Amino acid sequence: MPRALLVGLVLAGVGAVPLVANNYVLSVLISLAMFTGLAYAWNIISGYTGYLSFGQVTFFGVGAYTAAILIIKLHVAWPLAALAGGVLAAFLSMPLGWIMLRLRGPYFAIGMLGLSRIAERIAFAWEPVTDGGRGLYLPPVLDLRAVYWAVVLVGAALVGITSLLDNSRFGLRLLAIREDEGGADNLGINTTLAKLQAFVLSAFFPGVLGGIYAWHVSYIDPVMAFATQVDLTAIVAVLLGGAGTVWGPLIGGVTLSLLAEFLWARFPFIHTALFGALVIATVLFLPKGLADAFRRRGWLAPGRAFLRRLAARQAPQEAAPE
Amino acid sequence: MLWEPVLWGQLLIHGVMLGGLYGLLALGLNLVFGVMRVINFAHGELVMLGAFLTFWGYTALGLHPLVALPFSAAVLFGVGWALQRFLMERVLGGQPMAALLVTFGLSLIIINVGLLVFGADIRSIPLVSGSLRVAGFVIPKARGLAFLTAMALTVATVAFLRWTALGRAIRATAQHPEVAITCGVDVRRTRLVTFGLGAALGAAAGSLIMLILPMDPQSGSLLILKAFAVIIVGGLGSVAGGLLGALVLGIAEVFGSFFIATVFGEVMAYVLMLLVLLVRPAGLLGIAER
Repeated sequence: MPRALLVGLVLAGVGAVPLVANNYVLSVLISLAMFTGLAYAWNIISGYTGYLSFGQVTFFGVGAYTAAILIIKLHVAWPLAALAGGVLAAFLSMPLGWIMLRLRGPYFAIGMLGLSRIAERIAFAWEPVTDGGRGLYLPPVLDLRAVYWAVVLVGAALVGITSLLDNSRFGLRLLAIREDEGGADNLGINTTLAKLQAFVLSAFFPGVLGGIYAWHVSYIDPVMAFATQVDLTAIVAVLLGGAGTVWGPLIGGVTLSLLAEFLWARFPFIHTALFGALVIATVLFLPKGLADAFRRRGWLAPGRAFLRRLAARQAPQEAAPE
Repeated sequence: MLWEPVLWGQLLIHGVMLGGLYGLLALGLNLVFGVMRVINFAHGELVMLGAFLTFWGYTALGLHPLVALPFSAAVLFGVGWALQRFLMERVLGGQPMAALLVTFGLSLIIINVGLLVFGADIRSIPLVSGSLRVAGFVIPKARGLAFLTAMALTVATVAFLRWTALGRAIRATAQHPEVAITCGVDVRRTRLVTFGLGAALGAAAGSLIMLILPMDPQSGSLLILKAFAVIIVGGLGSVAGGLLGALVLGIAEVFGSFFIATVFGEVMAYVLMLLVLLVRPAGLLGIAER
């Protein structure tokens, strides 16, 4: 009952914000929702399967360029263009995932980083389509509320999907891959398929968000679209919150966005260094993230309701023979 | 155009010279990976620090880069030692990706501090100019000098690893830390020396790069991508593989930018990296992870 009340309050709050917030607050909230969404997407592949990727931004950039080109050249409506960005990113992620997911550990991390650099170079070189380093200009967006709704919707979808994932057999398969891929394979899990599904899922949403981003800022160039900083922020958000959990990306994304905004406003010249120090501090002092700290204090229910249901179901059966 | 021996020879020479420098750039990274099993994301920034120390030695004290090189390498050895002692030791043996992320954060800090201290300007030391003609081929003096120095340092490092007690300790720790301990190797001290050595080699590479390429505090992160490609093509942790990878990459980059497009030269490294991984997911001479 209090849970339903809490959800209702949150929904009402999220819904009421555009009515009262000014454009500054809205733009902070937009970037907050965007990075939280990217964090959720990253969490699906890297948090659950343990395949640390430094190149999810590839899909963000692909989505941004797809949407921008569709809007400029074909005058496609922005929601469709952003969706198309996501679809193309997902399609592209299939062959790429097939190649990249054969790599392990640092090979995968760096392979993905290299991939994002290749994508950036292609965006520079493919002038007839991308206009190279000059970048693409889109018609300006006048109403920030539409952007807000769009990113909040994508973010909410990701929370929902992650929550389903966390309580599903598919999610357990991914966790099994993270803990012991060889063992998971031996148990009859089709690890290749599961990894690829997670990879495609974690490529689609950055694609959509990239599309919304391009439309929101009305200008993209290769450096912005494929900035490693985008990946980094998502990664730090997940780690700060807690990798491979439902609420980690949300807790981390919100905390980090507010912190980054604060650091940027207060210490414009050293905010990058402070950000770096934050990464190190997170790893040193919160190796399992804030979600875990909250859980230990009892503020947050333990995850994986599926397992708890399973445990609850088995308990009476064991008691029966006596 | 397609087959001109002089042109191809010239390109090959350039590729090999570039490869020699990439080899030194990646050597420190590879050593650290071999012993610590950690990809040092801040390696490029250590290279940058070495380059800017050399630049500072040149402008403030009038030191020739090759004279400043041992000094900047020594300073960075100390920096690497301290980083390992006070930071990396705390995260090793924890979650596999923790150390990787710590170096990632470290690189951000160093870039930012570099921008504050050195400014965002692009610096270079155009001290060595002109070129030599050898058997009909043109060799720019600066590149030739950088290549020879890089090769000398690489050979010295390999000799150090092979024939000194400390070098043997490093190799033993890289192969099997537990067994190394039972054989009386001070593994912790070996790790300190390895990170120091890795940083010093990076600094030396930075000094040499300052001779031939303009650098700014953010250049390190671009160079590191090449070093990553080198050690991934060659195989993580394999010194011989790293040198092979550097050679392959240097040649591919020069030929790629000449025959396809200038912009493609840069991408070549990563395309090659992906192609190699497609065939051999652990690199040419690497051992499979996990």
